[in-house]
Amino acid sequence: MRIDLQSKSFGARAVLGPVRLSVGRGQRVALLGPSGIGKSTLLRIIAGLDRAFEGRVEGGDRLAVVFQEPTLLPWRRALENITIPTGCDPEEARALMSKVGLEGRETQFPRQMSLGQQRRLALARAFAARPDILLMDEPFASLDPDTAARMIDLTGTLLDGSGAGLILVTHDEAEPARLGARALRLSGSPAVLQDR
Amino acid sequence: MLVLWVVVAHLADDPRRVPGPGAVWAKLAGIVASGELWFHAGMTLFRVLASFALAMAVGVAAGLWMGRSRAADHWLNPALVIALNVPALVVIVLAYIWIGLNEVAAITAVALNKIPVVTVMLREGTRALRPDLDDMAAAFRMSPVARLRHVVLPQLAPHVAAAARAGISLIWKIVLVVEFLGRSNGVGFKIHLLFSNFDVAGVLAWALAFVAVMLAIDLCILRPWEARANRWRRDAD
Repeated sequence: MRIDLQSKSFGARAVLGPVRLSVGRGQRVALLGPSGIGKSTLLRIIAGLDRAFEGRVEGGDRLAVVFQEPTLLPWRRALENITIPTGCDPEEARALMSKVGLEGRETQFPRQMSLGQQRRLALARAFAARPDILLMDEPFASLDPDTAARMIDLTGTLLDGSGAGLILVTHDEAEPARLGARALRLSGSPAVLQDR
Repeated sequence: MLVLWVVVAHLADDPRRVPGPGAVWAKLAGIVASGELWFHAGMTLFRVLASFALAMAVGVAAGLWMGRSRAADHWLNPALVIALNVPALVVIVLAYIWIGLNEVAAITAVALNKIPVVTVMLREGTRALRPDLDDMAAAFRMSPVARLRHVVLPQLAPHVAAAARAGISLIWKIVLVVEFLGRSNGVGFKIHLLFSNFDVAGVLAWALAFVAVMLAIDLCILRPWEARANRWRRDAD
């Protein structure tokens, strides 16, 4: 995946300046920076969810997104929340659910699960899409420290197992190191990337 | 209500104009026994269901389109406002004149009366769709059919249910007018005949019989469906 962004504006306000970034399988990158700097916007552009920008995103890699909120289908059971969006078969989904510690919860609806469980389900869903690169948008925010630590370890294990690359958006300075990711910082106005 | 009815009938003391429950019950028993009820109520029910299905299908599609596309909303909104405000009777009369005194005209006229209402309800529902789930569906490259079935329609289910419930009660009232004006069977046609003979007990008997049919549909079909569609809202099952 290679992005060559010239600029991104919301109305008259330029949010992102020139940004060049390329990430392949097995490579891990973390985008750091204060809130509102444009980290999530950059991730949305990479994910193909925002097409109103100047520049190019190239590469035929399979991408999967873990959003800031679990973003599950509340009216579908846990297992279907993996199989329906990703098209993976139920056996594989079951195996992934047990990898993230949700064994036996296949028939529960999302609202019957805790926030931590919902986030693990969202993580399982992302890996079910068999991504070349996993995109994560502050996935450990709003979790208590213990749960966040377990989620980070789990993410690392699943990344090791699948060989997928990672682009992680976060404002937590400690997360990149724990995941072995190269930390890049977005700063300035309009924001540009800098090696830390 | 039954007590009130008895009291009013007693006070009016005019069985021809305000028949008591007993007289209406006797009429009802008569039309049930003769088998007349099943034929005419069946014809009316067929028209109700056909126009209901047509109105829901077109109304849901139009509402989705107008809720999703600004351009469609911009161009279709004036037509929608006009359609909402054209009196039902005008639509019925014009349908009979332009299409003919037949079943197609009857069902089309009823559906045309209901479509704008369904469209408005579904348009509002579509505007309230969750953008985060749209993003999720786009990020995982879900097919349009899968998005509609698993992401969009479940969110619209409460709006569809509300439109269906409001719709079926409105539709059966309009169907009776359509039958009154231009059909030779159905509950509306029977009421037309009884009206000519000033048979109030008969009119009430037919009306009550059909209200019972519509109540049964609500209890046996709409409510169980709603309960099923809302299963995921419960904490445990």
